[in-house]
Amino acid sequence: MDLKIRKNGESYIIDVNGEMDLYNSYKLKELVMKMLEKKVERFIINLENVDYIDSSGIGALIYICSTIKKMGFKLVITNIHGSVKKVIELTKLMGYFPITPTIDDALKRMEA
Amino acid sequence: MAPAAKDIQVNENSPLFEKTGMLHKEFPSDFRQIRYFTLLIVQSAPPDIKEINLLEQQISEVIKNAVKHGNKCDPEKKVRVWYDFSPEHAHLIVEDEGPGFQDLEKWNEFNRKRQVLLEGNDFEALAEYVSFRGERADDNDGGNALFAALEYWDGGFVFNSKRNVVAMLKRFPKKRRGVKVESEK
Repeated sequence: MDLKIRKNGESYIIDVNGEMDLYNSYKLKELVMKMLEKKVERFIINLENVDYIDSSGIGALIYICSTIKKMGFKLVITNIHGSVKKVIELTKLMGYFPITPTIDDALKRMEA
Repeated sequence: MAPAAKDIQVNENSPLFEKTGMLHKEFPSDFRQIRYFTLLIVQSAPPDIKEINLLEQQISEVIKNAVKHGNKCDPEKKVRVWYDFSPEHAHLIVEDEGPGFQDLEKWNEFNRKRQVLLEGNDFEALAEYVSFRGERADDNDGGNALFAALEYWDGGFVFNSKRNVVAMLKRFPKKRRGVKVESEK
């Protein structure tokens, strides 16, 4: 799994590339925690290039989501598709996660 | 009225434990190779199975549970898997050498409360019920695999009495066969 960060206005977009599985999902958690230490407050996690996620990946997203919510900061997860979407649906967490279809929608939601 | 939450069942006599005609493999409890072991099993599935990625992911979860939570990653302990696939079904039995899933009743109770919150769209309170944390859970455990498993394995997900063997069945919709005929103008 490869993680890239880019900035758009006040928001930081994390592009996740590859598989979010039991061997590497911790990397995303660690990255977000480091960004929080650096006072980042607006996160967009882009899963456009993620075709596989397991319970560790979902667990990482839960941890990130609950941490950011508790701190009162903003998070949007975007571009969920295929089996990734299916796994989130199976865990019934589509309503729990702040999800948008596209990055543009995510950016608009950040401004709302 | 909200539908009743599904429970994980314990039923030693479930027909899902019938192994006749199933393929069999056994693996050492090597955490690093869980996905590799899973691929060795999934490669015998027909390629036209619907959402084979999802099948792989769900099998990987039960093997991970056996390796990590059942056998505590002890390489001397084996995970045994019996499996049978067709375009219409996936049937698996996974056995570990651990003490069994001791938190099963706690998990069912947790899932019932979770279900009530989901039905009520109470996402604030749901925050406390998104992950089940067993006593031995660590930071890398998602705590959500069994929620998905109960939904995915729609033909049953059942443990034996000792709770160290779990059997499961997924049914796939039959594909329509035949020639598509265009309607006349």
